[in-house]
Amino acid sequence: MPKHIVRLLAVIAVIAIIAITARTYFKDPSFYQYGHYRGNAPAEIASKIPKLRGSDTCKSCHKAVYAEWTGGIHNKASKDGTSKTVVVKYGPNCEVCHTSAAGNHPSKEAMPLSVEDQVHSIVHPKHHTLATNVPGKKLLLSPEEARSVCLNCHEKMPGRPKEQRQIAIDSHAGVEMCVTCHNPHSPKIDFSFVPRMVAMQKVFVGNAVAGKSVSASCAGCHGATGVSVSANIPNLAGQNSGYLSSSLRAFKSKVRDNDMMSAIAAGMSEADIENVSAFYSQNSCKVTGGDRAKVAAGKAKVATAGCAACHNAGGLRGAGAPGISGSKSWPNLAGQNAEYLGATLKAFQNSTRYHTVMTSVAKTLSAADIDNLVAYYASVDCK
Amino acid sequence: MNKLPSEENMTTRDTNETNDEGQVSRRSFLGLMGTGAVCAGAAITATSSASSLLGHASGGNAYQQSDAQRIESLANPPKIPDYDWNKHKWAFGVDTDRCIGCLRCMEACKAENSVQEDANHHRTWVERYVYLEGSDKAIVDSQTDPKNIEVTGSEMRYRFDNRYKDVKVDKAYFVPKLCNQCEKPSCVQVCPTGATFKAPDGVVLIDAKYCIGCQYCVQACPYGVRSFNEQRGTAEKCNWCYHRITKGLNPACVEACPTGTRVFGDRNDKDSPISEFIRNHRVMVLKPEMGNEPNVFYVGIDKEVS
Ligand code: HEC
Ligand code: HEC
Ligand code: HEC
Ligand code: HEC
Ligand code: HEC
Ligand code: HEC
Repeated sequence: MPKHIVRLLAVIAVIAIIAITARTYFKDPSFYQYGHYRGNAPAEIASKIPKLRGSDTCKSCHKAVYAEWTGGIHNKASKDGTSKTVVVKYGPNCEVCHTSAAGNHPSKEAMPLSVEDQVHSIVHPKHHTLATNVPGKKLLLSPEEARSVCLNCHEKMPGRPKEQRQIAIDSHAGVEMCVTCHNPHSPKIDFSFVPRMVAMQKVFVGNAVAGKSVSASCAGCHGATGVSVSANIPNLAGQNSGYLSSSLRAFKSKVRDNDMMSAIAAGMSEADIENVSAFYSQNSCKVTGGDRAKVAAGKAKVATAGCAACHNAGGLRGAGAPGISGSKSWPNLAGQNAEYLGATLKAFQNSTRYHTVMTSVAKTLSAADIDNLVAYYASVDCK
Repeated sequence: MNKLPSEENMTTRDTNETNDEGQVSRRSFLGLMGTGAVCAGAAITATSSASSLLGHASGGNAYQQSDAQRIESLANPPKIPDYDWNKHKWAFGVDTDRCIGCLRCMEACKAENSVQEDANHHRTWVERYVYLEGSDKAIVDSQTDPKNIEVTGSEMRYRFDNRYKDVKVDKAYFVPKLCNQCEKPSCVQVCPTGATFKAPDGVVLIDAKYCIGCQYCVQACPYGVRSFNEQRGTAEKCNWCYHRITKGLNPACVEACPTGTRVFGDRNDKDSPISEFIRNHRVMVLKPEMGNEPNVFYVGIDKEVS
């Protein structure tokens, strides 16, 4: 045989030997058991441990929260309209908001880091992007994270079916955290808990000194320190800075429209807004006083109308000063000009000024109620 | 829930990063061969042709079983506790009329299956179809859209921005997407190593141990449900949470969905949610013209949705 044929045959033989060895050595015995794949694979895939364990697993330790949730609107079960047997569950369960308790949970016995995650963190430190390592992706949501979670489902948006309850952020909450008014576990409002104790509130950092120079252009109407020159212009002195700045933003975006203020706010920068708000909020307020005869009637109405839930530092639980609001992004009413307050409540009533909560509250008031209420608030101490 | 076997008794092979001997040596073997590409090519061809000569290969399509294999899967199914894959025929329903586009399904899926967390890797996702007034053409975006990433402030969170707030929208809706677990899966047909296959209960699975990361299947899928997981070096896709459904649980996305958009169940059970869903709605599938025969049934989508 010619030499080159022998060489060729030798090469083919070597390749064949490599191929057959490779095949016998590497082919899993279970390959072709059920088809062109490893027969052991399905059982291996099925053996993975589920990580989301369902709300029922939280029940044993978080009894109170679990009971709130099961009784609330976020755990609403209803029959699917088209079927007699199928029950559809509405609303987020525990793990939708407290994303994946496994590995994140403070009680490691309850929710150990899953085996899979441990393996990952050892082998792939560079690419490690699991929930446990993402800053801020903790189990307990801060109020701001909670706000963004709520808005995932409740922000008014084209495309969302109208059956889903949706809110326009600016006129419903402004900058306020949802959890100050809503209990995330049972979100229908219970006014006796408003404002809810929120661990962290947004801090506004304005520079009062810089704000003083901005305020020069406001003095003609709001007075040099924020005590207004006329009874139909609101006092700003001692008002909550968060509310002042959110009002100015609302004027700027015309969510709240006022001929004078919208034009002025349109020219203000974000820094101007924060600074001037800081300036006015640190000035001392002045009680303008109200019609004495109506004060007593107003005080009685406040108790029944539920205004204290939000416009009293202690909420309906009543421990705080009246007219001083429970949140820094809501207005204090104490000592405010009665005439301005009255006009504002009427504006809420006819929606020329719109805020979901205040508009619906104001609609419950008669003209006489408004007269009495504003007289009362104008007369209470604003310190 | 408390019926779950304890963690120690269970393996978590799908990470694929274990120092499992067979797999690593297979990998390094292929790496070695890569240096002599001719050899490797020849070896693989020889292996597969040898195997067909030995009579193992199935009929025309990779997802079809030979008679012997069919008998084997009936008589001797994989050893999954309390589960027989011959008794189930899983299917999935999506009622887009209910979807609010909150993307909690995607988040739950990622947590459950340790999918890479950036917006571009996903096993399930949601698309938004918007028809502006006076236009017949849908504008489509999903959580991977840069503006939607921006509004969350992080690649690790998913959300739709409110960009259509101030324009006149004629019609808009959200469409959740996931693996269709087709009757005739093109991904299975192109897989060179048998790493992806269709189980008799209807689910198309990926054997991460045998996946060499060639990404043919990613290209082959007409629905774009497959992606490449760079962490694991393997293809990645939704398997309807096979590890959950074989334990009697719902897939994670179905559990998380707050509006009942996602429906899952066993078509062999006439009272299961999915059987009711298919019975009571006029359902359709995506891209029927592809002939893949999907097992995800949609309600409320326009023909633009694909
Ligand atoms: C075995 C008992 C147990 C189970 C089951 C359990 N937890 Fe907890 N949980 C705890 C303990 C203990 C703490 C720590 C309380 C503390 O630090 O004050 C905690 C704290 C929390 C916190 C507050 C976290 C923080 O940083 O303060 C959240 C949120 C929470 N759990 C959610 C859940 C959810 C959701 C589940 C169900 C998926 C669950 N837990 C199941 C015991 C449990
Ligand atoms: C809609 C989102 C949401 C859902 C659903 C939810 N939580 Fe919470 N949870 C929150 C937020 C937000 C907080 C932060 C507390 C606050 O600001 O009031 C919280 C606080 C907690 C805390 C710590 C504070 C406390 O009140 O003890 C625990 C424990 C907790 N949740 C457990 C659960 C459990 C268990 C479930 C399921 C039954 C659940 N959560 C469902 C959003 C949610
Ligand atoms: C995953 C989606 C989801 C998240 C997150 C979520 N919700 Fe809900 N919410 C729902 C659904 C669904 C309902 C039930 C709607 C219905 O059927 O009436 C609901 C109901 C409500 C209602 C009751 C409306 C009414 O009066 O009937 C309020 C209030 C509410 N949610 C507030 C919140 C707040 C506050 C948060 C954040 C802590 C939040 N939600 C987070 C989905 C969600
Ligand atoms: C100032 C207090 C307050 C704040 C802050 C607040 N809400 Fe409300 N919210 C209310 C009141 C009052 C209602 C109406 C009472 C009710 O139906 O329970 C309401 C109703 C709702 C409803 C039901 C709307 C409907 O059409 O039935 C949803 C959804 C809701 N809020 C979500 C939110 C979200 C999300 C946030 C945070 C961005 C938030 N709320 C912040 C007071 C508040
Ligand atoms: C031409 C007179 C005028 C000037 C100048 C003016 N304001 Fe006003 N401001 C008003 C009136 C009138 C209202 C009441 C608007 C309404 O009823 O909604 C008001 C309302 C406000 C409010 C809302 C207060 C509340 O309790 O809701 C803020 C905040 C405010 N002004 C800040 C400023 C600042 C800051 C400047 C200077 C940059 C300024 N204003 C300049 C007339 C003026
Ligand atoms: C659920 C909480 C809540 C309740 C209850 C409530 N308010 Fe308010 N109120 C608010 C918030 C929030 C604002 C700020 C609105 C805005 O930013 O435009 C406000 C604003 C006002 C203002 C405008 C203040 C200004 O400086 O412009 C008046 C006046 C007022 N409320 C009066 C009342 C009265 C009177 C009642 C009782 C009948 C009442 N509110 C009940 C939350 C509440």
